Amino acid sequence: MATDKIVLRGLTKQFEVKDRTITAVKAVDLSIREGEFVCIVGPSGCGKTTLLRILAGLETATAGEIQIMRNDPSKPLNSMVFQEQSIFPWMSVRKNIGFGLKCRGVNRRTIAEVVDRYLSMIGLQKFGEAYPHQLSGGMKQRVSVARAFANDPEILLMDEPFAALDEQNKIMLQEELLKIWEGSRKTVIFITHSIDEALILADRVIIMTSHPGTFKASIEVDLPRPRRIAELRSDSRFNELFTYLWSILREEVRKAKVSEGLTFRDEDEHDDHSRTLGDESKLVL
Amino acid sequence: MAERNSAVRDATGDNLISRARTEGATDEGGLAFRKQKRSRWSMGGHSNAVLGFLSPVVILVLWEIAVPLGLLDGRFFPPPHAIAGTFWKMVKSGQLFSDVYVSLYRIILGFLAGAIPGLIIGLSMGLFKPVRWLLRPIISATYPIPKLALMPLIILMFGFGETQKVITIALGTFFMVLINTMAGVLNLDKIYLDVAKNYGASRRDFYLRVALPGALPLIFTGLELGMGMALLLIVAAEMTGAVEGIGYRIWAAQAVFKTKEMFVAFILISLLGYIFAEALSTIQRKVIPWKSQ
Repeated sequence: MATDKIVLRGLTKQFEVKDRTITAVKAVDLSIREGEFVCIVGPSGCGKTTLLRILAGLETATAGEIQIMRNDPSKPLNSMVFQEQSIFPWMSVRKNIGFGLKCRGVNRRTIAEVVDRYLSMIGLQKFGEAYPHQLSGGMKQRVSVARAFANDPEILLMDEPFAALDEQNKIMLQEELLKIWEGSRKTVIFITHSIDEALILADRVIIMTSHPGTFKASIEVDLPRPRRIAELRSDSRFNELFTYLWSILREEVRKAKVSEGLTFRDEDEHDDHSRTLGDESKLVL
Repeated sequence: MAERNSAVRDATGDNLISRARTEGATDEGGLAFRKQKRSRWSMGGHSNAVLGFLSPVVILVLWEIAVPLGLLDGRFFPPPHAIAGTFWKMVKSGQLFSDVYVSLYRIILGFLAGAIPGLIIGLSMGLFKPVRWLLRPIISATYPIPKLALMPLIILMFGFGETQKVITIALGTFFMVLINTMAGVLNLDKIYLDVAKNYGASRRDFYLRVALPGALPLIFTGLELGMGMALLLIVAAEMTGAVEGIGYRIWAAQAVFKTKEMFVAFILISLLGYIFAEALSTIQRKVIPWKSQ
């Protein structure tokens, strides 16, 4: 299991804003093992979302190299779970979960089987024909997670998928995610601003600094699996790690505060879409 | 029921889920919302319907009285009963049906000839930036030209036949559908395009699974406006080189001062407009079940 699934070398992303150049991600090096669950934690605007979007193929890097080892060329390389509501309002829950498979031309019967399996995994069997507007926020995000897993990619990219949820829902979804993941052991890169969440989920936590976004530290999370969230909270090792991570992160958060409010435009499909680097939710601790 | 509804309303997502899981009342959540809304409307529904019926009746009665009193000129505003008589005469002679048939044929043909290219080009312009850049100047430059102003040119090109009428209507519909379709795609949250890209959607998937369904609400707005345009243009198009049709009937009636026939034609146009609007909104409810109303 020691093979490297993802290798990044000197990955850099710069945006041109008017006559200035902003470096969102700077010379990032990273190796992720096959089947590893990695959480990237950092203050708002540290470029972690940009990094994930590059890995997802939604942005192109300015410099550097990405290597992703493929085991099965018939599988998609990656599937992303987005932070904001991203399931298609015009598709039923079933259609949403099966979207990736449909795009890949998988036959209808197989899609139905896979969708059924994930529907029951996320406890939404009875909502298969429902449309997203009939679902709560937590249910929508479950569908979004199921859509990614159902696509059966080589790696899963998750961009603060639970950030917008209330506390109870968040815990339930974290538990469900752990359960699904433990059944598949896919390589996951999960972005979050919550140390708590990172420790609950990850095998390894990477801390990012802001302006420019680089990696500051990489910490192995040696908490045993399967993990139970309620027990973890009172675990002494968990608290030790929490304190340690916070001591590293604290300084970064303070630095990030100073340079907050930087806005720039990204050159994408849509000309009238600007992205604020500081629009990720505030660090909640 | 009321208490339960408010519980559903106030429930956080989790609450809703646990309710569904424990009671197995999965569909009820959605249903309850709808019932609550409907009942709120139906309370006043009866009296609303009466009001809606009352206003035209009052106007007809006033009109009927005003003509013999000399308050309205009967030559321009023949009393309703006389219009009804003419209507019936035209039904019996079959003239009414052939007028409606001929106009309907032109409208539908022109509407389709305009809406289908409008839809395809609108989707392409919304989805692909180069296409947008390529075509936007042409569209922006030609859209403001009144289609009526183009009619003389169309007549020069195509003569007074059916083609001229169909093309006039198609032009009007085309722009309405195109502009609204493009706006519909551009208004789509960018995240849906990101999802489609990340999940390996082909060009065909982008059109048929993302852009088209996502833009449908605005596409229907375009179709409704296009329909209005078609009704407007049919009257103009049948001004010349026609021997039948609702528009033709209006101009012919004017020439010989048959205002009653003219009013019958007005009624027919209005009816057509109403039927089209109803048909479109029925289709809309069928194809956009995901819109929360």
